[in-house]
Amino acid sequence: MEAEAPPDNDVLWARSLHFRHPDGSPGLAGVSLGVREGEILAVTGPRGSGKTTLLRCLSGLVPVRSGEVWFNSAPLHTLGPMRRERLRRDRFGWIDPAPVLVPELNAWENAALPLMLRGAGRRRAKVAALEWLERLDVGDRARNRPHELQQAERQRVAIARALAPAPTVLFADEPTAPLHRADRNHVLRTLTTAARSHGITVVLATHDADNAALADRTVALLDGRRVSTVHLPDAPETEGRAAWSLSV
Amino acid sequence: MVALRLTRAARPAVQLRRLLVAAASAGTGFLLLSCFGYALNHPEAADAAAPRLAWCTVPLAATVYFAIAVARTDPGARPLTGLSAVGLGPARLMAVSALTTALSCTLGSLLALLVFLDLRGDLTGMPFDGAAAGFLAAGRHLPVPATLTLLGVVPALASTTVALALRPTDPRPAAPLLRRYGPFGAYGSSMARETFGAYGRFGARLRPGAGDARGKHARDRHGRDEHVQDEQGQDEHVQDGQAEDKHGPVDDGERPGRRPAGARDDGAQPPPHAGDGRAAGAAPGPGQGGTPTTPGNSTDPEPPMPEGDLADVLPGPRHTAPIGLPWGIALLATGLAVQSYADRAHAAVLLGWLLTATGLVLAAPGLTHLCGRLLQSTRPGALRLLAGRVLMAEAIRIGRPLGVVCAVASAGYAMTTLHAGSAPAFGPLTTLGALLVTGCTVATLLTAAVETRQCRADTTAALLRLGAPASMLRTAAALRAAALLALFGPLTLAVAALAALPVNR
Repeated sequence: MEAEAPPDNDVLWARSLHFRHPDGSPGLAGVSLGVREGEILAVTGPRGSGKTTLLRCLSGLVPVRSGEVWFNSAPLHTLGPMRRERLRRDRFGWIDPAPVLVPELNAWENAALPLMLRGAGRRRAKVAALEWLERLDVGDRARNRPHELQQAERQRVAIARALAPAPTVLFADEPTAPLHRADRNHVLRTLTTAARSHGITVVLATHDADNAALADRTVALLDGRRVSTVHLPDAPETEGRAAWSLSV
Repeated sequence: MVALRLTRAARPAVQLRRLLVAAASAGTGFLLLSCFGYALNHPEAADAAAPRLAWCTVPLAATVYFAIAVARTDPGARPLTGLSAVGLGPARLMAVSALTTALSCTLGSLLALLVFLDLRGDLTGMPFDGAAAGFLAAGRHLPVPATLTLLGVVPALASTTVALALRPTDPRPAAPLLRRYGPFGAYGSSMARETFGAYGRFGARLRPGAGDARGKHARDRHGRDEHVQDEQGQDEHVQDGQAEDKHGPVDDGERPGRRPAGARDDGAQPPPHAGDGRAAGAAPGPGQGGTPTTPGNSTDPEPPMPEGDLADVLPGPRHTAPIGLPWGIALLATGLAVQSYADRAHAAVLLGWLLTATGLVLAAPGLTHLCGRLLQSTRPGALRLLAGRVLMAEAIRIGRPLGVVCAVASAGYAMTTLHAGSAPAFGPLTTLGALLVTGCTVATLLTAAVETRQCRADTTAALLRLGAPASMLRTAAALRAAALLALFGPLTLAVAALAALPVNR
C-alpha cells in the first residue's frame, strides 16, 4: 500500500471514520483514505464490508459518528444536513446499484434533472443531457420513458444523469451490479473514460476484481476496516459431501 | 392469528386509518339500525321505511370505498419476496387484508350497536329525556336476527370488496401475442384491439401509435425505422442470445402501433433484404417462418420475460390520458339537463344526480391528467416538470376519489341551497349521513394521496440522493394540490349552481 498523499493534494480526505448504523450494527471502524483530484479510486471488498457505508459517509449522506471528512479543505463532518445537501447537489454525483430513474420523465429529462435542480436553464440542461446520453450510446432512446428501456440502458441514463452536471466527485456504488458481463464492462468503460476525459474524480465501490482493474488505485475494505490484501478462507472442501452423497 | 398480530404491530398512522374505517362503519351501522327502528315504530308505513333504507346505500358505498382505500395503503399487506417464501404470499395477504378490514368494520358495528342500545335506553336509562325515541323504537322489543343482519352488512360487504379488489393478479400476464394475418396479408395484431367504440373514441386517431386502422403508411414508416434499429441491434441479439423484450409486457397494448416490430423481434428473423419495410410488412415470404403462432411456443426459445426487477416493482406509468373524459362530460351534461327539466319530479331529479355524479367520477381522471399536462407545459423547469408529470402519471389514482369528492361536494352545496329556507329539513340522521359521506370521501382522497406517496417512495429517495432539496419536493406537492383545487373547485361550484338552478327559478 502506498503512503497517504498530503491532504492539500486531495479533493476528498477522510481520517479514522467510525460509523455505526442506527440499529447498532457496526459499519465502519476507523477508515482513513484520501482521494486525489481526477483519479479513479476503487473501493473493493466482499458484500457487507462497508463499501456503501463508506461512500455514504464520504458523500455526506449520513453523518459520521467520529472522524473527519474533508472536501477541498471544507470540513464535511461539521456541516449541517442542509449544507451537506447543497454540497451534494452542487459538487457530488451519485450512481445507485440499480438505476432509480423518475418513471414519469423520459430519458433526457431524467438526465437533465440535476442540472435543472441546480437552477440551470432548460435549454442548457437539455443540451448537456442529450450530449451525455449520446456519449453513453443511449442517444436514440432519449425520448423514451424508463420503463421502455432495458436495464443496461436505464443504468446508462443514470450514469448520464450523474455525469451531466459535471460533478467534482462522482460516487458510483456498484454501478454495474444488475448487468450481465458484456453490458457491465461496456458501461464501466464508458463511465471511466468519460470521467477521465472530463477530469471527474470517481470513487467506485465494487466487489469485482475486474472492475477494480480499471481504477487508478484500489482500497480494500473488510468488515469496516481498511486492509491491504483480502485473504478470505477458502470455500470448505466438498470431498466429504461428495462422499456422503455417494454413500446414499 | 397472523392478521391479528400484524394488525396490532402497526404504526400510529395506520392504526388511525383503521380507526377511521371503524368510525365510518359505526356511523353506517347506526344509520341502518335507525332505519330499522323507524320501521319497527311504523309497521304500517312500509312505503316510508323502504326509501330510508335505500338511502343508506350512499353512506354504505362511501364506507366500503374508504375501506378499500385504507386496505390498499396498509403496509402490513404489501407483498414481500421473503414473506412469500414463508407462506405469506399474495393470496394469503389478501386474506389478511380482508380479515383486518372485517375486524375494523365489526368493531365499528359493535360500537354502533352499543350507541343504539344506549340511546334506546336498553342499557341505562333513557338519555336526552327520550328525545331520540322516535326513530329508535324505544320500548319495543328489538329482533336479534334482523339487528345482526343489518350490523353484518358493512363488515361482510367491505371485506368481500377488499378481497376482490386486492386479489392477486399477475402484474401483466405474458400476453399471448396472437399473430394473425391482417387484411392484406400483413401480420401483427392488426385486428386484435379494435374493441367496440374504440374507433370513435376521443383522441384515438391522434395518438401516434394507435393506428390499427391507420393502415399501412404508419406501419411502413415504423417498420422502416425498426428495421434500421434491428440491424443496429443485431450484435446485441447475438450477445445476449435471449429474446428481445424491448417491448416488454409493461407496455403491451398501450402502443399497438409498435407491435409489428415487436412481433418480428421475438418471432421470425427479419429477412436478409430487410431494408424495405413495405416488402417485409406486406408480403411475408415463405422462407420467413411466419406461422401464426404465439411467441410463447416452439418458434421462440423462451417466452418474453418480464423485464428487470424495477419494472416489476414500479408499475409503468400510463402514457395515454385516461379515456373516461368524453364519456364523463357527456354524462355530466345529460345529468344536468335531466335535472333542469325534471321539475321536482323525485325520480327524475335522482336520476339526474346519478348521471351527474357518474359523469364527474368518470371525467375526473381525465381532468387531473389535463391539469398535470398544463402544469408541465411550455418549457418547464424541474419543479413544474416533477409536479406535472407526477400528476399525469397518477391521474387515475388521484382522479377517481377526487371526482367522488367533487360529486359529493356539489350535491351537498346544491342541497343546502335547496333547503336554505327550511332548516328542519335536515334531521339528525340526515346530518349524520351527510357527514359520513363527506368524511369518507375526503378521507379516501387523502388515503389515495398517501398511497401515491408510498408508491413513489423509491423515486423520492433517489431524488434526495441526487441532492434535490426536500423543500422543492414539498413545493411540487403543494403545486399539484393547488392546481387540482384551481380546476376542481370552480367545477364543483359550477355543477352545484347548475344543479340548483331549476329550483331557484
